[in-house]
Amino acid sequence: MRFLEWLQTTALAKMVAETLWGYPLLETLHTLGMAMLVGALGLINLRVLGYKAELPILGTRDLLPLAWLGFTINLISGIALFTSDAVYFWSSYTFRIKILLIVLGGINAFVLSRAAFREAQAGSSRYVATTGIRWVAGSALVFWLGAIIAGRLIAYTP
Amino acid sequence: MELFVWMEGTGLAAFVRTVPWVYPAVETAHYVGLTFLVGAILLIDLRLLGFARSLPVSSMIGLLPWVWVGFVINVISGSIMFVYGATNFGTNPAFWVKMSFMVLAGANAFVFSRAAARSGSQWLDSGNVPLFVRAVATASLVLWVCVVTTGRWMAYI
Repeated sequence: MRFLEWLQTTALAKMVAETLWGYPLLETLHTLGMAMLVGALGLINLRVLGYKAELPILGTRDLLPLAWLGFTINLISGIALFTSDAVYFWSSYTFRIKILLIVLGGINAFVLSRAAFREAQAGSSRYVATTGIRWVAGSALVFWLGAIIAGRLIAYTP
Repeated sequence: MELFVWMEGTGLAAFVRTVPWVYPAVETAHYVGLTFLVGAILLIDLRLLGFARSLPVSSMIGLLPWVWVGFVINVISGSIMFVYGATNFGTNPAFWVKMSFMVLAGANAFVFSRAAARSGSQWLDSGNVPLFVRAVATASLVLWVCVVTTGRWMAYI
C-alpha cells in the first residue's frame, strides 16, 4: 500500500493525472493496442477453431508480432494509467478480474503457440485442431473479450 | 440545437438516464464493436501493405464481415449514447471531427471496393498489391486511428 501511495506521487503519475493530454493520450494508445492484440490473437484462435480453414495455420504465426506490439503498447500505457491512481485501481475488484483474465489469456496463447503450431508442423497441410487445443482457443476468446469488458467497467464498478 | 434537446427528452434517453447499468453496458458494447471493426481493418490493411505474407490477401479481405458487424454494433451503441447526451455531444467539436473522419474512412473504403472490383483479379491471388491500393490501405489505417483518437478525446473536451 505504501508502494502504491508512493507510485501516485511520482513524476509519471502526476503527468498522467494532471496534464490535459496525459490521460486521453494513454487511453487512446490503450484502445489501439487492444485492437492490435485482440485482432491478431482473435484471428489465430478462430483459425484454430476452424474458421477460414484455408489460412495456413503456420502462416498465422506472422500475426504474432502484431499481437506483441499491441501487448507492449498496452503494458506500458496500462502501467502509466495505473500509476495515476494506483491505490484506487489496486483496490478495484474489476481491475483484478481484468488482470486475471489477461494472465489467463497469456497462458492460453503460450500453450497454443507450443501445442497447435507443433501439431501443425507434424501433421498434414490442412490443419485440424484436436479437441483439447480447441478448448484452449475457445477459452482464449472468452478471456480476451472478458478483459475488454472488465476494462471498460473499472470506471463504473467497485 | 432544438433537435438535441428533443433527443434528450425521448423515452430512450430517459431509459439510459434512469437505469444505472445501461450506459456502462452500451459503452462496453461500443468497445467490443471497436475491437471487431478496428481489429479486422488492421489485419486487412496491414496484409495489403505486405505484413503476414504467408496469409492469402483474398482470405484476409474475407474478414470484412467483422468490420460490418463491428460497425453495426457501434452505430447502434453510439446512437444510444448520443441521444442520451445529445446537447453535450452535439456541441462537442471532437464529436464532429470524429464523424468527419468516419465519412472520409467510408469514402476511402468505397474507393478500395471499386479498385478491388476493377483490378482485383490481378492482385487478389498473386498478392502483388498495386501502389494505389497500398496508398488506400495506408489512408484507411490513418483515418481509423484518427476516429479512435477523436472518439476518446470527446470525453475530455
